[in-house]
Parts: sequence; C-alpha cells; structure tokens
Amino acid sequence: MTTLRFRTVLGLGWVEASLLIRNLLVLAGLLGGGGLVWLIIDQTVPLWWNVSWWIGAGQLILGMAVLIAAQLAAGRPQRAGLADLYASFPASAATRTAGHVAGLTGVVPASLLLAGAASAVVQARGAIGAPDAVVLAGGVLLVIAAGAAGVAIGARLSHPLAGVLFALALFLSSGAYQVLSRAAIWLVPWNIMVNQLDVLPGPLAGYPPAGAHALELAGFAVLAAIVALAVTVRGARARAGLAAAGIAAVAVICFAGALQLRPIPTAGVNRLVSEVADPASVQRCTAAGQVRYCLYPGFGSELASLRAPVRDVLARLPAPPGPVLTIRQVVPLSMSDWTLTHGQPSSDVSRWGTQVENAPANAAAAPKATIYLPVGSWPAAGGQLADANFDLALATAEWAVGIPPQNSGSPAFQPCVPVGQAREAIAIWLAILATRPSADKLHDGLNTGMGGGSTGAGVGNTIVQTWSYPGMGRDYVMAPGGGPQTTAAGYALASAMTSLPQHQISRVLTAAWGKWLNWHTPDTLLARALGIPTPRLRPFLSAPSGGAPAASSAAQSPLCTS
Amino acid sequence: MHELTGRRPRRSRLRALPWLARPVIRTMPWATLLTGCLAGTVFLAIQAHVARNSSWQLQQGNVRLALLPAVAALAFVPGAAFRPLTLTTPIPSWVAPAGQLLLASPVLAATCWVQLRVMNYTIPTHALGHAPAVYSLIAQFTGWCSVTVAAAVCVDRSRYADLGGAVAVPVSLGAIAAAWNIPASASVLVGPPATAHGVTTAWYAIAAAALALTGAAMRDHWHRYGRTAPRGFALRTPRSAAR
Repeated sequence: MTTLRFRTVLGLGWVEASLLIRNLLVLAGLLGGGGLVWLIIDQTVPLWWNVSWWIGAGQLILGMAVLIAAQLAAGRPQRAGLADLYASFPASAATRTAGHVAGLTGVVPASLLLAGAASAVVQARGAIGAPDAVVLAGGVLLVIAAGAAGVAIGARLSHPLAGVLFALALFLSSGAYQVLSRAAIWLVPWNIMVNQLDVLPGPLAGYPPAGAHALELAGFAVLAAIVALAVTVRGARARAGLAAAGIAAVAVICFAGALQLRPIPTAGVNRLVSEVADPASVQRCTAAGQVRYCLYPGFGSELASLRAPVRDVLARLPAPPGPVLTIRQVVPLSMSDWTLTHGQPSSDVSRWGTQVENAPANAAAAPKATIYLPVGSWPAAGGQLADANFDLALATAEWAVGIPPQNSGSPAFQPCVPVGQAREAIAIWLAILATRPSADKLHDGLNTGMGGGSTGAGVGNTIVQTWSYPGMGRDYVMAPGGGPQTTAAGYALASAMTSLPQHQISRVLTAAWGKWLNWHTPDTLLARALGIPTPRLRPFLSAPSGGAPAASSAAQSPLCTS
Repeated sequence: MHELTGRRPRRSRLRALPWLARPVIRTMPWATLLTGCLAGTVFLAIQAHVARNSSWQLQQGNVRLALLPAVAALAFVPGAAFRPLTLTTPIPSWVAPAGQLLLASPVLAATCWVQLRVMNYTIPTHALGHAPAVYSLIAQFTGWCSVTVAAAVCVDRSRYADLGGAVAVPVSLGAIAAAWNIPASASVLVGPPATAHGVTTAWYAIAAAALALTGAAMRDHWHRYGRTAPRGFALRTPRSAAR
C-alpha cells in the first residue's frame, strides 16, 4: 500500500513538475530574475562575492513566480469548485499535496539554469574572485522554499490573490531593514537592501552568513511542505509524525537563525579595516613610466583598462610632469553598517570607525599626485566604460597641468574652479584626444540643470557656467571634495582646439609649456596663440540692474590658485 | 438573443442601469479588493510604528510599495463571470465589470489617502521645509492601476481567462518594474531624473492609453481559443456533420 502511494506521489509529482516547468509565470519569473541580475552585472566589473548574492536576488524573483504558480496548482480543485469530484478520486488529498511538493523538482532546472547562465555571463565579463557555491545553492533553495510555501498556501487558500500577496510579502521582506535591525536582516528570505558587498576588496568570511542562511531556507522549505501536508492529511498518526517533523524543522530554522545572528569573526573585520585604512599594505603596485597603479589583489585584470587612457594623455604632454602619479584603489566602506559590526565590542567598533575615517577614501585632504578609484565602481564595458575612461583621462590631465583636486588655501579642502585658466582647456583637450568621446555627449554636459538648463558655480562675485563631463558624479574616479569643477568656457575652448591639427597645438604648447601651466595665464591668451576666436557662451545669469551680480544664488567655490 | 439580432436601443440600456446596480455591487469581489488594500496599509502602518519609535520618516517610496497589494487586488475586479451567458442579455457584457471598476475607484482612492496620512504621521509637525508634492505619486498610482486593469481585461479575453488576475498581476508589476529600471523609460517615468510635472504627465498619458485599451478589450465580443480543442471535444465539428 505504501509503495503504491509512493508511486502515485511520484506519478503526480512528475505531472505537476512538467506543468510547472512549462508554466508561463515560471518562465516570466526566470526572465525577470535574469533581467535583474543583468541590471546589476551590466554596470561594473563584477565582483564574485557581490554577484553571487545578487544572483540569489534574481532567484527571489523566480521564487515569487514559483510561489504564485504552485499556489495556483495546489488550489486548483477548490478554485474550480471541484473539491467534491477530487475527493472521489482514489488518491487522497494528502497524496495529491505530496505530489505537488514532489512537483517542485520541476523548478529546480529553471533555478539551476538561472544560476548557471548568470554565472557564465558574469565570468565572461571578467569577474573578479571566485563564485561562492554555498550562496548559489542558497538561491536554489530559496526557489524551492518559495514553491513549498505556495503549495502550503494553495492547500488552504485557493484564491489567486493569496499567492500574489504572499509573493509581494516575499519581495517586500527583502527590504525590511527598517523593521529588522542589526543582523536580523539576514533572517529574511533574501536581503538585497543592506550590505556593502559591492565595495569590499575581497570576500569576508561570515558576510553574508551564506551557509547558515542556506540551512534556514532548507528548513523553511521542509516546514512549508509539512504544513501543506498537515492541512490535507487525515489520521492522528500521520499528523503526529508531521508535527514531530515540523518541530524538527523549526529547530533547524532557529539554529540557522542563531548562527546568522553571530557576529562576524573579529579577525576578518580587523583585516578588512586595515586593508581599507592602509591600502598600501596589501595592494600590489605596477609601475609604468611615471605612473604607479596600486590595486588590491585579484584586481589585476582592470590594469589594462586603466592604463590606456592614462598613457594616451601622458603621451601628448610636451614635457613630462615632475612627480610620479599614483593611481590607487580605495574602499568607500561605512562602519555605521550594523550588518558588519553587530555583536562586536563597542571599543572595537569605535577603533574601526576611527581607522576608516582616516582612510584615503574618507580623508579630507588628498595627496596631490594621487588619483583614487573606488573599488566596485569601474565599468566592464560599453558607454559606462567610455565615460570612466574619460574621467580617468581628465583626472590625469588635470594632474599633469597642475590643477589641484581641491583648494589648498582658505577655505581648505573644497573643490576649486579654474575660471578662465588656459590650463583647464588644455586638460580637457588632452582628455578628449585620449578617449575620443562623441561630440554630442560632451555637449550634453552644458545642459545638465533642471529642465535641460545650465548649471553654475559662484566664484567671488560672479556666477560661472559649469560643464559636467561624461560620467561626472558616477564616482568612477574619486577626489576628496569632489575634484575641480570644470567650466563651460574651458570646455568650449577645448572643443574648438580639437578642430585644429594636433601638431599645431603641440607646437604652441611646447613653446611655452611653463607659461600655460601657470594659473595666471588666461584662456583668451591661449586662444589668441592658437589663432582661434575665444568661444562665446550664451548668457548664463545676468546681474540685476543696478545691483550686485546674482552670485549668492549659487554655491560659493574658491578659485584654483596653485 | 439581442446580441444576435442587432443593436440595443440606447434608452433601454439606460433604463436598465438602476436594475443592474444591486447585482453589480453583490458580485463585486469586495473581499479580494479590501484584502489587498488592507494588506498594504497594515504593512505601511507597521513601518510607520517602527519609524516613529526609531526617529526616522516614511518616504513616498514606502507608500509606493504599500500600494502594490491594492494594485494587485484590482486585477481581480474586472473579471466578467459567465461571459458567454451575459453576452446574450440585453445589457452589454462590459457594463458589469465597468461598474465594478467604478465601485473600486473610491476604495482605491481612500487607500491612497489613508496611506499618505500614515506617511505624514511619521513626519514631525515641526519639521523644516515642505513635504514633497504627492500629485506625481497619485499619477503613478493611477497609471499602475490602469495598466493592471488593462492587463487583466486583456487576459480575460484570452484562453487564460480563469486566471485573469493571477496572470495580470505579474505581467503588470513586471512591466512597471521594467519601466522603473530601464534607463530610457526611467528618465521619463521616475523622478528624479524626471521632474514631478513630467512624471505626472507621463503616467496620466499611460493611464489614458491603458483605459482606451481596456475599453476596446471589454467591448470585444469574441471568444478566443488559442489551442486546438482535444480530439472528440464538442467544439470540434464532427466529421459526420461536415459531410
């Protein structure tokens, strides 16, 4: 009898699995999950310790679809008003429910396909690190647990809205960081809102607690299946067995929860903080001419992408700049993240906070010959990589012509504006020649204000129209204080310079390179030397008649004077 | 029978409307709609409670998320039960679902109002500055509802009619999520980068288009069977009859 029932369950499971795997909702969930993963990996060079977790977020979308599909399947008899007819079948309701649970094997291929395809794409895009099999397995378990929950819901609530609401609850739980504080956020099915995995320079043991979380999800899957069976099973003995199994599943879930609530090993956080506060102690530096590239271990594949724009800028300089330029990766880590510091002694947290505050990424003052690159922000390909290349080329050119990243006088550590300075136009021209962005993209930088209007910065008693270079504000390149503010006048002259033969400009620059680097040398002089008219900009803001210029309406910035 | 014999006189339709009110109200899926509206509101109320105790404020983003269950519930409202039967009655078959949608409108409006009040509850009275304008959020909610109704009605006219809402919810929410995340559409439909005025205009335009689609789908009289009927099924013309 038991064998017969088992074979019936297997047969029903096979049918339900084949229905589930062909279900349009599941296929849509597969597409949606894949789309979400693509949105994440498309932006930057993927870091496996971050992307593994985001593939789980894609599985969350698939899980929502599976939950709805499983609920619809399990609630089919009641919804169609055929409960009495089904009751007359040889297979009992419990057997059919067991068939539905067994049918969840049908979504495993879809989940594995999502994980496998996403992993393949991530690897093909030059991912850094290695995939975390436990995290990926956790994503598959999430889908199975969601399906089991759907069966349990469908066994009791047949209305389709029930599945939809529970699927929404599953989604909303992923961002319940405002309700669940500290490490409790890891207890939700898949936390996608609170973590700093995308900025870590390497994997951190226990962050996220992947093994314990996978165990919790497995426990939830078993518990949901038990609940589904308990709703439909008849007979005291069977119910007692299910109750015992349910208690065991709850115990496993509690044990897994307790494991997730443990603090991250102190040694790991110590190592992370020291890597953040003193990157030079762990980074590997590669010298290339006058430039040193210092990258965290494992990030060597980004070197080629970084070198090209820097090399192309330096190759066009009439004379080599004095000091060595260091291009260094930094980590914009926040120690106020309680998922990172929960359960640690307050003295340690305070010490780590102080160390991180003084890290290069957070320090107010930056060394002059250093360009910082935040970990996890460098794009892999496409238009974003072109923008990042321009940003790096411009930062290099600004360093080469002596524009400081921030004001050195009073007020200190504020981004300065090189108003009317010839060297600004030269820096922008060098960056344009090195990376060749489209003219439209460059021109769009003049109209980034509200409603496509202009933006400005107050310098002294005037308001200067500013120019937003491609990728500005994306933090591909990080300068404390934001770096110098490029002006529309500088861009306009640089744009006009690109129409001249390069050798003509090189001859003018080489003849008086020292003079052009002086901040006193105006851009009008450079235009005259090149034989081009000074570009005229359309009026930006006019002073009120008889009154002072309307400089007070814009933020005040110092002039770059060094 | 009237459906088969010609156009119905407009006056007789109007006269029949008061008689329809009671069955439309009685067949309205109140439990479904109210469950969806209450689920989101309770979720937001819990968040508001935590926010008050933790000294942070709810944002319009929280309200948007809390409105999703109400939008999902709306997908189950316009289902036309017994459509083959209602097609034979003197009253057009779209009147009942349209009436139910009209009945759902004040419930949804009240839900939105309550949720905005809940959000305001977390904002201190002495807070500096103006609260963000809510007209763009209302436009977004209207657009979401219209897209969902259009999806539900279109599914109702397909062979998945029995799962109308269950299919329409993922479809519409997926479309909304895609519009939110794809840069090209987000630049118009999400503010910032789009202005509140632009967002409002765009979502009301989408709502208008979706309502037009809804109207066209509701007035469509034809059944659709995407799959060949099984062998021996009654819908298939018997060979003997063909001969």
